[in-house]
Amino acid sequence: MTLGFGQWTLAIDAGDPPSRDLIGGKAWSVARMQALGLTVPPAFVVTTAACNAYLATGREPPELEAEIDAGIGWLESKTGRSFGAGPHPLLVSVRSGAPVSMPGMMDTVLNLGINETTEAALATECGDPAFARNTHKRFLDLYAHIVLRATTPELDEAAGPPAWRATIAASCGTSVPTNTREQLRHAVRAVFESWNSRRARRYRQLHAIPDDLGTAVAVQAMVFGNLDAHSGTGVLFSRNPSTGAAEPHGEYLARAQGEDVVSGKFTPQPLSALGAILPEAHARLLDAARTLEKAGRDVQDIEFTVERGQLYFLQSRSAKLAPHAAVRIAVALAEEGLIDRRSAVLRVSPDQVRLLLSPRIAERARAGARVLASGEPASPGVGIGYVVTDSDEAERRAEAGEAVILARPTTSPDDLHGMIAAKAVVTEQGGSTSHAAVVGRALGLPCVVGCGKGALDQLTGQRVTVDGLAGKVYAGALEVEAPDESRNYALTRLSHWATAESPLRVISAASAEATTATDISNDPDAADLERIGLALVRVKGARGVRGGMIASHEGVVAAIQSGLEFIVADPVLPPLLVAVRHADAKVENA
Amino acid sequence: MNEMHLVMHGLAIKKHASPEDVAAILGLDCDDVRETLTKLVAAKRAVEVKGRYMLAPAARMLLDADYSRYYDAERANPAFQAGYAGFERLNGSLKQLITDWQTISVRAEQVPNDHSDKDYDLKIIDRLGDLHERVEPIINQLASALPRMAIYGAKLAAALEKAEAGAIAWVSDAKIDSYHTVWFELHEDLLRLMRRERTE
Repeated sequence: MTLGFGQWTLAIDAGDPPSRDLIGGKAWSVARMQALGLTVPPAFVVTTAACNAYLATGREPPELEAEIDAGIGWLESKTGRSFGAGPHPLLVSVRSGAPVSMPGMMDTVLNLGINETTEAALATECGDPAFARNTHKRFLDLYAHIVLRATTPELDEAAGPPAWRATIAASCGTSVPTNTREQLRHAVRAVFESWNSRRARRYRQLHAIPDDLGTAVAVQAMVFGNLDAHSGTGVLFSRNPSTGAAEPHGEYLARAQGEDVVSGKFTPQPLSALGAILPEAHARLLDAARTLEKAGRDVQDIEFTVERGQLYFLQSRSAKLAPHAAVRIAVALAEEGLIDRRSAVLRVSPDQVRLLLSPRIAERARAGARVLASGEPASPGVGIGYVVTDSDEAERRAEAGEAVILARPTTSPDDLHGMIAAKAVVTEQGGSTSHAAVVGRALGLPCVVGCGKGALDQLTGQRVTVDGLAGKVYAGALEVEAPDESRNYALTRLSHWATAESPLRVISAASAEATTATDISNDPDAADLERIGLALVRVKGARGVRGGMIASHEGVVAAIQSGLEFIVADPVLPPLLVAVRHADAKVENA
Repeated sequence: MNEMHLVMHGLAIKKHASPEDVAAILGLDCDDVRETLTKLVAAKRAVEVKGRYMLAPAARMLLDADYSRYYDAERANPAFQAGYAGFERLNGSLKQLITDWQTISVRAEQVPNDHSDKDYDLKIIDRLGDLHERVEPIINQLASALPRMAIYGAKLAAALEKAEAGAIAWVSDAKIDSYHTVWFELHEDLLRLMRRERTE
């Protein structure tokens, strides 16, 4: 049963979730977690119908204000807190939620409901005035940025709420209300209006999404992980996202709010820390990880908070995985019967496999190598060449056929031609967002940044090996090796399954059949991604082909279209995955 | 405005540029730029290689020394100063956004974004659209003092629209006038006009 407060609002309560069209994607996923028996912070929704009524008339339906008040009243009764008052203030998050995820929709506003009164109450409640003050500042920042769409200067930590409000008012001409109901009313309206933002309209137009779906607004109670020793916050992965091992992996930070874990200011403890303090919550968490993984048929990345011993689930989504973990987990999920083999093959991208199999420095060579410089790893890969410190010189020498490494104090657009010519880039200053790092990654160029002032002196003129994954520059040309796909269990399984699903066979040059393939290397079109199909037309009747760019995405698609039986490529798996994806997309579009 | 100085300034921003590139970024007539470039080459202030031009090393010093002669008015203009300050505030967000575009954080590890996760990409292009809406008024403010600044606004919008339509190279590809390329050029332009050093 769904509890409604009238025509325009619904509580997210036990039972079947209301339709996604009515409550939007965000609230729907909260409802879904609740339907799986997990405890979520109480929430209610202003429906897409209310949004459409607002957009049609240019004002909120007359009943809406009273209904939102009723929704807030329901949150107050569920949490034992009060909105805009002490001693236990209720703070809420406000999120937009369209039925389909879409750009241009308003971002989340957190901690809505804080003002001078509730800040003081929160400070007393958690015994941490600095936290309450900071929560107030973060709210003002977000509200100014998201609801008022202001580009405000950094708020001065020491200045305090009145000065912060004045800074915001000065920069955009509108002030942040101190009345909490007014804060909420404005935030809800901002969500409605974001439905017609330039980006949202353009996206709907590009993707033929009707303009009258509207967006819902989810209003959810904030829970606090910093109230006492039995409170805390953390993240849990249902499997290890770095190694792919089939065991849950999590971190917990006692007496902390979610932002603290992400901020990197505190070092979280392993999840067992939670087990030591609250064994029951720990056990329920591990249970939930299994439940959510089964329901989602994928590894889950779960955010949770414990408030005074009560475990709340905030969010669960498919986890981002390191490339080797992605391969190992796709194979494991299929072997456990959670997904079929075809899905496992489609879960791994050709680029992930290429990265796994990309050349790296041989361990035996690394052991005895001399490190000339080390910095921050900014773009992976290995580059070997002579160090040049001037971009024009790098370009000139590269054009003459020499392998060069560009080393600079920092790089700027002045150096782009030198970077394009180089095998790798090294800088003395800058971090992972510096120009060298950003452009290096865009060019797929190994890059080590921030090696320190004076690092260039050690390098100039020498032949070096740059390891962009480890952030090291070694003396001399080190031995480089490509990992062998046939010696990795998960990769061989995946190759096997992909072969069964692929419309095209891909065989290694080492196999006997490879000699029967027609070599197209001498056709200039074979090296041109846009014209490789023409090269295949010229060898009509061939069963298999090798050479040129046949292993590329375009090459594989052209091979399928021209009806080839097989191509020759090493490594085998990336083109196989391209072939399966291509066939899969065709079925979906048919 | 001295056209020699302006074209040299254009070459300092667009490296290895064709006359068309320089004319486009400065909003000048292409034939005029071609003529000025020929004069600059004759005066040994620029070098031509295969139809593309770059500043001669000595010309950089001349260029840098002359900014105060031509841009005192902009530097003293409160609207331009406010626009510049606003741009620097957004610059950090853009840099973070491009990093997020290129790398996906898998726990503490950063791995290259292989763009197989369409939702992830979509969210970042959405953030780019949000950032663009914030930089537009700032560019208008700059252009109220120096009209050619509006060219950057148009080039940024063009890159954004292509990225939104699915041509994702227009977010950060260094070889085309992608959003990041144009943003970086605008930043370079402003740093030169304001005589500030890039902080990495």
